[in-house]
Amino acid sequence: MAATADGVADDVRHRGSRAGALAPFAVFTALLALSVLVSLCVGRFSVPVPRAIEILFSFITNPGRAIEAMDERIVLLVRTPRVVLAAFSGAALATAGVALQGVFRNPLVSPEVLGISQGAAFGGALAITLGIWGIPLLAVVFVSGLSALIFVGLLARIDGRTEIITVILSGMVVGSLFSAFVSLLQFIADPNSSLPAIVYWLMGSFATATWERVLISAPGLLIGMGLLWTLRFRLNVLSLDDAEARSLGARPELERWMIFGLVALVVGSQVAVSGIVGWIGLVIPHASRLMVGHDHRRLLPASAVLGAAFMVTIDTLARTVTAAEIPLGVLTAIVGAPVFALLLRRHYRDRSAR
Amino acid sequence: MLANRAVIKRAGAIALAVSIIGAGASFSLADDIVITDHENREVRLPAPAERIVTIPMPMASGVIALDGSDSKLVGLNPLSLTAIREGILGKIFPEANNISDAVTSTDFMPNVEALAAVNPDLVVQWGGRGPEIVDPITNAGLNTLLIKYGTEDLTRQYMTMVATAIGKPERITELVEWRDKVEKDIAAKTAAIPEDERPNVLYLGRSLSDITASGSKSNYNAWYIDLTGGKNAAAELEGSVSINREQIAQWDPEVILLNSFEPNLDVSWVYNDPILSLTKAAQSKRVYKMPLGGYRWDPPNQESPLTWMWLADLLHPEVFDYDLRAEMKKAYKVLYNYELSDADIDGIIWTAQQGDAAGYDQFKAN
Repeated sequence: MAATADGVADDVRHRGSRAGALAPFAVFTALLALSVLVSLCVGRFSVPVPRAIEILFSFITNPGRAIEAMDERIVLLVRTPRVVLAAFSGAALATAGVALQGVFRNPLVSPEVLGISQGAAFGGALAITLGIWGIPLLAVVFVSGLSALIFVGLLARIDGRTEIITVILSGMVVGSLFSAFVSLLQFIADPNSSLPAIVYWLMGSFATATWERVLISAPGLLIGMGLLWTLRFRLNVLSLDDAEARSLGARPELERWMIFGLVALVVGSQVAVSGIVGWIGLVIPHASRLMVGHDHRRLLPASAVLGAAFMVTIDTLARTVTAAEIPLGVLTAIVGAPVFALLLRRHYRDRSAR
Repeated sequence: MLANRAVIKRAGAIALAVSIIGAGASFSLADDIVITDHENREVRLPAPAERIVTIPMPMASGVIALDGSDSKLVGLNPLSLTAIREGILGKIFPEANNISDAVTSTDFMPNVEALAAVNPDLVVQWGGRGPEIVDPITNAGLNTLLIKYGTEDLTRQYMTMVATAIGKPERITELVEWRDKVEKDIAAKTAAIPEDERPNVLYLGRSLSDITASGSKSNYNAWYIDLTGGKNAAAELEGSVSINREQIAQWDPEVILLNSFEPNLDVSWVYNDPILSLTKAAQSKRVYKMPLGGYRWDPPNQESPLTWMWLADLLHPEVFDYDLRAEMKKAYKVLYNYELSDADIDGIIWTAQQGDAAGYDQFKAN
């Protein structure tokens, strides 16, 4: 808590050097551009890099043209939607992570902690069991993620007040409950059709990305991120303690729930099309915080761009390293956990040195 | 208490009935039936098994075929039951639709109470998959036969074990001879086919949720692709794994085989896909869903020689001219004592869905 307030103060002091403040953004944006370009040019199907760039260029200059050849379809119908979806999802998950960590003043929370991911997973598993796909699946996922959140809200509200700690504990309870529901659905699912679909979808993957799926999830992801961006000042205020926040004219409880709702929208939209992808919401905000500080006005966009770059890179590895698709969750954890451990140690060593 | 006593009484009656049957059999056989199973266990039956439970999926229809009736099968895997209901076996043996599938979950974990309730004298279970799924059965004091999956040799061995257990060893001799004859006949003809005339064949184990393919090692599908003069397009893989469309485009298989497990899958899945529809297989209309007869034709089962003949005709029509319809009618007469109609055959080989595929002309009814 103290660190957060210090951080904000640090940032305010540092704002004098404009160029220094922009440097991390330039680096992150360059990383994103590079990862997207590389991702579009590599894959199991060999398309020479100049040819891939030519395909992209001719598509940008003449988007209405029919896509006939295999290499064009691979680049424009397989890789591009996949990269776009990965980038949007990475950005949105990182933004959601930042928002939750700000609200809880706790660097260890993520959408899983509030039970939103588990709720969304249950909605998805239910929809698959009932044979529902596409936009209706998104709706079920969102409603189910949001209802998990509402359960958490009701559980955590005691005598008209909601303590942060009760929210986290309620989130764990509700999350476990929804996880059990998912297991139950897996237990009764048809092993020839819906069970593999549920298992695969829970594992998280962009392998089935299409432009249709991009259109399904993009509105939720972009609206959610956009509205969280408009709440950046609120997030700064909410990361102070409640008494201070109230004295600054905020209504912490209401604003907190607005943010939770937006996080549910973002997570639901992402989970609906690509399953559960862990670690992004935890690792990326931390990495960004080290680079740009705690001010949400800078932390939110920095996390979004870095999250997109990270997700695109990971997904490129998942689909190119071997002939088989490597599960995304495995890679995000393998890369994410050590990075997170490193950050954690550096962060606390610096702090104790101070 | 009263209910309990009734159960005990009934169990006693059944035990008595079984022992009478057993006594009857022992006059003719004199000795116990002894079988060494795939985990080198000795399974000893005092008399031919009359009430069999099969936990491995392909074995349920195997028992029906070996016995020529559904009367000995008293419990099966839920997935065996869906195959019976979706396929033709449920029509040939309507009673088979009602056999208990409560005896096991689809992941082969037996439900011991449900098992005991059907009072089996032999339970067939997978071997080589650890004691977790076996111990509950043996602890309940039930005779357990463990079989291993994967190759043609293992298939012949476990079918022989089961035939021996039901006291019909002569029956399996006939079926193994058939398998052997067809296999040798095909192998002799494909031996002369040069490497560059063997099409790349991609068998997809799953398609709708994620796409899976398998390498060649101990993979039955790869084995019969090779037997019938094809090459496994996914040979570089290790085991059965998820792959993406881009990888399929890279392999660019000349023939695509779709699994018969997913009920909502047919060849239009390939033709409607922007990537897969550009593969050589789709362009030359050589995409086929595996037939579903007395069991699914993808894994090894009692009808496997029909799978090989079907695929051989499709991969090398210039070499093979099996009359699939005649062979199927002959086989179903032997296996199930059933006169297969042309409409039955069209249903099994999916004529309505893929009748216009390349090479399907030769399977047309006269």
